Amino acid sequence: MDHRSIFAALALLLVSALAVIHQLNAPVARSITPTLTNKPELCLTCHDGIEEISPSHPIQSFGCVICHGGNALALDKNLAHAGMRGGKNPADFSVVETSCGGSQCHSGAAADHNDHIQRALTSIQGTYAGAITQVRRSFGAQADGVAHYGIYAIADDQVKSPKAVPSLDQFDPTTHADPQPVVNFYDNCLTCHLTVQPILQPYYYRSTGCTACHTPYDSDGLYHGSDPTIDKTKTGYPAQHRLTTRIPYTQCDTCHNRGNYSLKQMAFLPRLDLPTSGAPLPADRLRDYYQPIGQFTKCEWELDCIDCHTSTEAMGDGDLYSSKFDIQYIRCKTCHGTLTEPPQTATIIDPNDVELRRARLNGNYSLQVGDTVLLTERGEKLGAIKVVDGRFIQTLKVTGTQYEIPLVKGSACQQKPDQQASKYCHECHTYQR
Amino acid sequence: MTPWLYHMSTHRPNFFYHLHPPTIPRREGSFRYTFGLGGISVLLFLVLAVTGLLLTFFYVSTPDRAADSIQVITYQVPFGWLVRNLHYWAAQWMVIVVALHLLRVIFTGAYKAPRKTNYVIGTALLVGTWLLNFTGYVLRWDDGTHWALVVGTNLVKETPLIGSLLYQAIVGGTEVGAATTTRLYGWHLFGLTIPAFILMVWHGFKVRRDGGISHQQRVGDHAPRIDRGQLVKTETAAALIVLTALILIAIVLPAPLGPIADLPMLPSQTQAPWFFLWVQALLRSLPPVVAGVLIPIGLLALLISIPYLIDRRTSGVAVWFNQPGRVAQIVAITIFLGLIVLTIIEVGQ
Repeated sequence: MDHRSIFAALALLLVSALAVIHQLNAPVARSITPTLTNKPELCLTCHDGIEEISPSHPIQSFGCVICHGGNALALDKNLAHAGMRGGKNPADFSVVETSCGGSQCHSGAAADHNDHIQRALTSIQGTYAGAITQVRRSFGAQADGVAHYGIYAIADDQVKSPKAVPSLDQFDPTTHADPQPVVNFYDNCLTCHLTVQPILQPYYYRSTGCTACHTPYDSDGLYHGSDPTIDKTKTGYPAQHRLTTRIPYTQCDTCHNRGNYSLKQMAFLPRLDLPTSGAPLPADRLRDYYQPIGQFTKCEWELDCIDCHTSTEAMGDGDLYSSKFDIQYIRCKTCHGTLTEPPQTATIIDPNDVELRRARLNGNYSLQVGDTVLLTERGEKLGAIKVVDGRFIQTLKVTGTQYEIPLVKGSACQQKPDQQASKYCHECHTYQR
Repeated sequence: MTPWLYHMSTHRPNFFYHLHPPTIPRREGSFRYTFGLGGISVLLFLVLAVTGLLLTFFYVSTPDRAADSIQVITYQVPFGWLVRNLHYWAAQWMVIVVALHLLRVIFTGAYKAPRKTNYVIGTALLVGTWLLNFTGYVLRWDDGTHWALVVGTNLVKETPLIGSLLYQAIVGGTEVGAATTTRLYGWHLFGLTIPAFILMVWHGFKVRRDGGISHQQRVGDHAPRIDRGQLVKTETAAALIVLTALILIAIVLPAPLGPIADLPMLPSQTQAPWFFLWVQALLRSLPPVVAGVLIPIGLLALLISIPYLIDRRTSGVAVWFNQPGRVAQIVAITIFLGLIVLTIIEVGQ
């Protein structure tokens, strides 16, 4: 062999050694084969340690791809993530039907309480039809209070309520010649509906679509879970990779307690009294946290929003409404009763009652057939409020703390029977900041 | 000395030595004359055959699983990434090396009689190379192969008279589907590789049969000659260097791989494989039958016509840019520059 070949052979040996080193450095694939897809997925090779999204979606059954899409067999970041539904968020409304839908999942029948996607899409929080209608009416763009427009065009082929509208067109004031303030509202104020990206600041961080509510964020927008691939110093991530029905008030407050719309300026004015660091929320919710304009009574700062407001109120009932007041109905008397009547109750007799499922999902309270629970004016059972020995015991859904609900009947309350709106109750039961 | 060692020694030529003539002319046998392009093509063919064989163990030729199986090869099979990248890069280099080989042959008048037939075999191998590269590329069945699956196959339909027949023969039905992957796989593995192998052997055989490598004829033929041992040494060094470079590029630059092709959706940005970008460029301004069928066939016919119509003289063999072959050289340069310019234009689109 001549010297050229010897050098070339040495070079070949060298690059072959490089290839071996490259192979030895390759990640060892960690594969799971979820039972629902029966196809292997390598996602956990990199996302080793990520939290299971929820006990209802066990990783052994669901894996990752059934919700997220992407290329389950690739170990290259770009290829693995190519075509993921909704980027990081498969529950965004643009992709939710593919990710979370299906008759066996969340676009099933209303009778089975599986029509979550239809309800959320038609809800006031999704369409924002309430605010749009109010603003257009205030500035003369429409005479009545009936919704014509939503954030997106949507139709409801099964209108149940007389207050509901069959469809909404997409709101775009520039095309239907609305007055300038409405255009300003369109330009400046649409930061809170379920399809819009939030303001990327502490206390505003949230997701979109279903996860805007069901995947809570910490106020600093930092991830505090165990997925090693997520930068723990980068903002804009949920606190954990988790879906929950234990939605804390802080999650609702990413929209509902963050500032005000100025009708004069037609702008959203964010609160200026929150820490800029995104430090954890203050322990004293009333003193340090609630907006200094509203009236709040005790249950409103000791409970979470979902302890009183029902799923129907928040996510709608599948109809398209013109105002939140068409769907929001829980009042003080729902739980506290009146001078003459205690709250209504109902005993759970159906083993398929949705309240049993909700209790199971929540996990902080238990419920079984035969239990008697509080019944709202519209016939919804509040499973977390059980009647025990004639007392109404409420378990808080987020913390599990138990309270006995004080009843108006038999108390010193001097309410007038026809004055049941909260403003009348607030005349006595008010704490103001 | 045992008989085995004896046969491995240069005193009694072993098989690889035996493939070479005992001596060849020094001038034409030098690397600076041939650049080893024919030999490198053979080496690349062997690399492609070995890596291709290994790939068949894991590749699944169905539309829904093809792209996935390549991801398995790339990310899970030990050294699968290396095998695939070697296969990919050897194939790309093959296109370039055989093109350069053709240019060398034209520029040195090696196509002239008595090597006319071998020249045609060579152009057939050129076509085979492109078709093998094209079918191999489509077998990826990822979103990068959309152009081939949608535009490329439809171009076949434009072929006069036999278009729809040819289309059905290639895609296996009236539209691209499950049968297409199997067909293309069959073509790639057998329908093209076996003819290419036979043509390659014939091509090499004809070099010997036509009087060895094309060389200058001198009176009495007393040109200095070298022993084949020397040639084999050069070939060994060249082969080792090419293999080293191939492995290096296979480590550094992975072969492209995308998510599964979403047929019949055509992504907004779709591109032909690089060696067909010039066709895509022509398609922007010319009717499909012209850009995709007539021009490629015309160019091929022009190349084949070189020893038969353009330059029928036998003088100027083995002389770089020889005077008698001037027209042929200009034709070749024009074709190749044209393809390169069109490719660059299309890349810039």
